[in-house]
Formats: sequence, structure tokens, C-alpha cells
Amino acid sequence: MSGLAFTQVSFSYGQTPCIRLFSVQLAKGQLVGLIGANGSGKTTLLRLGAGLLRADQGQVTLDGKSVGSWRGHERASRLSYLPQTLEVPLPFRVLELVEMGRAAGRHPQRLTCAEVLEMVGLTGKAELPLAEISGGERQRAFLAMTLAQGGSTLLLDEPLAGLDLRYQYELLALLRQLCQERGLTILLSLHDLMLARELDRLLVLRQGELLADGLPGELLQPELVCRTFDLDPAAQWNVAWQAHKD
Amino acid sequence: MSGACSAGATALKRHPLFIMLGCLVVVLLLSLSLGQQPINLLQIDELQLKILLELRLPRVVVALLMGAALGVAGAILQGVFRNPLADPYVLGTSSGAALAAAFGLLASQGSATWLVPSLALVGALMTSGVVVALGRDAWGVRAERLLLSGVGIGFFLSAILMLVMSLAQADGVKRALLWMAGDLAGADWSLVPAAAVLMLLGFVLGLSRRRGLNALALGDEVAFGLGLEPGRERMLLVLAAALLTAAAVALGGIVGFVGLMVPHGVRVLVGADARRVLPLAAVGGGMLLCLADTLGRSLLPPMELPAGVVTALIGAPWFLIMLRRGMR
Repeated sequence: MSGLAFTQVSFSYGQTPCIRLFSVQLAKGQLVGLIGANGSGKTTLLRLGAGLLRADQGQVTLDGKSVGSWRGHERASRLSYLPQTLEVPLPFRVLELVEMGRAAGRHPQRLTCAEVLEMVGLTGKAELPLAEISGGERQRAFLAMTLAQGGSTLLLDEPLAGLDLRYQYELLALLRQLCQERGLTILLSLHDLMLARELDRLLVLRQGELLADGLPGELLQPELVCRTFDLDPAAQWNVAWQAHKD
Repeated sequence: MSGACSAGATALKRHPLFIMLGCLVVVLLLSLSLGQQPINLLQIDELQLKILLELRLPRVVVALLMGAALGVAGAILQGVFRNPLADPYVLGTSSGAALAAAFGLLASQGSATWLVPSLALVGALMTSGVVVALGRDAWGVRAERLLLSGVGIGFFLSAILMLVMSLAQADGVKRALLWMAGDLAGADWSLVPAAAVLMLLGFVLGLSRRRGLNALALGDEVAFGLGLEPGRERMLLVLAAALLTAAAVALGGIVGFVGLMVPHGVRVLVGADARRVLPLAAVGGGMLLCLADTLGRSLLPPMELPAGVVTALIGAPWFLIMLRRGMR
């Protein structure tokens, strides 16, 4: 079984349950979104998928083997993980970031740094320090680092957060292109339900449980959204959301 | 004039290692020539040769090794802690070394020259060991725990040092204060081989973990995503920094600002990649301390300013200027 799969996974922080009996298999070439309220377990789930956390029960497998049992460089050659908070206190340049990603992967046919930079549209900015490029370019630089690893599964924790609408759509278009043209499987968490409509598949989390799994157009209905985010269906904002949707 | 400066800066950015090595050679020649008795290196008499080989050369070598070790240790710890303000003494190494050296200085009355550096080395290594042990958990060595342990242990040992100094005789206290100010006047060959071996070990270990150092600077989760074990990488890098710092302190006391300033200067030239920063921090650190020691013994003869005082006098204003530039 290739790719990433969660089978009956449960996880607790101490005595506090966080993920309960979560099962999902990610299909090759899919752009999958993970939505849910704050504290619903999105980041924990991505960390479990990346092997940063060990499941209390159940199993997370990567290419048929428990994700935790791969050696570091073997895991990094198959799967890339990008956390939400990306603070860089030292003046790294774009190319240095991509070189770090390439050095982590071992796949002989992985792309060169120049090819990856071209793919994310940063060829002309390779020598610039990260502090001297825009937020959207910075996010693409980190994406380039993960792509340079050469893996086929990407786990991205809120990669669209903090970007303006143009950068959000540009990054999303790039992710879609990577799925379609290179067969990558991408699981990303996000909060924006309008952007979530652009994805191939949505996983809806509520209090650590998989509330729904399916096509965005089918899932993003007022009833499910209200349940997911514990909203009052009669509230004024809900009218606004539906108007937006139309 | 500004055109020449700009051409120089461009050349420095293109070929930093060659140009810095060239500057280092100039500084070394100056350092050997200048002092209370200026020496023309092309015309040396017997007395001058004796001064050169027995006094000046060991002092230059000690300054070079110490500066190089402190520059590299600073670069390592700033990456490990993801904090540009970290310096080689953040692990409490200086406090442990100072306390052990103070005991040696007060007990020996200056009679056993090998005793003080040896005690300083043991004190520095033991303190680093305790700090690393306190900074560990199941994940490995964590940056926050390590930093807090270093600060806590440092304060504790400094308090004991103050107690010891307040109870000691004035003569011993002066010697201890000079040692703590980084005075290289008493530098000789006795501890150079042992310190050089420790420094080489620390440098090779640090350089061999350069990928981990780069990744840790991006955060533990990113480092893990890149296939590394952040806790293990941090422990090895801290060990490298501890070896470098302990050997440096043992050689010539506590010299501040080199480990803080040099990595910043090097990163301005070549970016943050540890592959380039570590070797250049070694060259830059050695050069800066040689220069500081040369100035210290040449500016106000026959009086000598400790090298640590000169680096602080240069370093503090430089640091404040950098801070203001950063704020703009």
C-alpha cells in the first residue's frame, strides 16, 4: 500500500484525548484539505502523519510501513512536512533553503535546485535573503524546500495562512499543478472555506473525530459547517456566508 | 573613495575566504611586530628573536586559537538556540571556568602556571556537562531547557565566585580579575597542544553536523521534516561548542564579544549557511582577537589592556550600531 494511511488512529496529550479512531487513506495525485475548528486536531493529525508524534492506538503507515519505523533520510525522501510557524532568525537565502531540502532527500531522480526554483517561480530570487522577499514568495521558498526532498507526499500545516487573496490562489494553483503533473499527494490544513472549495477532497474534523470525508461541493453545506464550527445556524453571519457562497 | 570601498566590499563578498585569510596574515605580521618593543621582522637580532619565539609567538598563537574557537562556538550556539544574541558563554561555561580558575589562582599564589588553565578546562567542561544533562528529556536536548539551565547554573556559580572573591586576599583577587578579563599577557606554549586538540575535535564535530545546524535554525519541526533527529543534533552541536569554549577559556580566560560579533559579521558577508559560516567564523574570530591583543599591548605602553577589555570596547559600540541598523 503506497502513500500515507491512517488506520484507527487515536492520540492523547496526557489525559486529554485529541484524535479518536481516525482512518483515512490518501490517494495518489489528490489535493486534500483538512478543515475544522481551532483545537479540533488538525495540526496533531499532520504531526502524526509526519512521524513527529506516535499514535497511542492504531497505525500511521507510509508506503506500507509504519511512518515511525523509517530511518530519517528514508522518511524525508518519501514525505515532506511543513509546520505552520516558520520563523527564520538567521539570514538564509532562498537557494540555501532549497539546498537543505535537496540534501535531505536521497532519491537519485529528484529535481535539481534550479528545476524546483523554476517550478515555484523563484528562479530570479535564488540569491535573495528570505527577509527580502514577500510573504507569498517566502511560503513558496519553503514549499520549494519540501519539493526538493523529492518525496511524493506533502503535509502542509496552514500554508495559506497570512497570505493575501492573490498569493493564496497562486499557491493553491501551484499545489494543484504539482498534484496533476507530478502525481504528488498533498494534505493541507486550512480555515478558509472558499479556498477549501478548490480542493479535490475534504476531511472535516470535529473534536478529534472525522466528521465527514468527501468532495468539497457536497460537504460545504450550512448544516455541516455549523456543526463543524459549533455555530448557531440562525445567526446573522451564517446568512452572510451563504450569500458569499452563492 | 566610496567607489573603492564598494569595490572592496564586493570583492569581499565574492571571495570571502581568500580575502579574510589575506587580512589574517597581515594581522599576524602586525601582531608579531608590534608591542612594547617593536620588531622589524626582516632584521632580527638575538634578543628580538628570543622575544619573538618565547613571548610574542605563543601569545599570537593563543589569541588565534582562542578567537577561532570562540567565533565558531558562537556561530554554532546562535544556530542551535535560534537566537542571534547567544554567545559561547550561554551554557554557563565561563562561570564554571572562572570559579575553578579563581580557586587555582587563590590557592597557588601564581606558582603553578599549568594549574589555572587545567582547572578552568575541567570547570568549563563539567559545567557544560551539567547544563546539557539538565537540558535533556526524552526528545533529546531542548533549546529552551538548555538555555534556562545555562542561565540558572551560571548565576549560581557566579554567586559562589563572588563569595570566594570577597573572602580572598587582595593580591589573589587582582590576578583572578585579570584572568577573567581575558588577559593574554601570561600566554605560553604549555597548554596549547591540549587546547588545540580539543578545539580541533570541536571544530570537526561542528562542521560534520553543519546540515543539522542549518536545519535547527529553521526550527525543530522543520529539522525533523528534513529527516534529522533535532534533539540528537542539538546535543552533538552543543558538545562541539562546549569543547571549543572550554579550551578557549582554559587558554586565556574569558574574552567576551568575539563569539557574539564574529558570526554576525560573517553572515553579513556570506549568508547563514553553516558550511561557509563556520570556517569563516574561525578565521574572523582568530583575526579579531589577535588584533585586540595587539592593540591592547601597543596603545598605552608600558601598560597593557587585557584583550577581553579591548574586544568589549570595540564590540559593545559595534553591537549597538548593528542593533540600531536592525531596528530601521
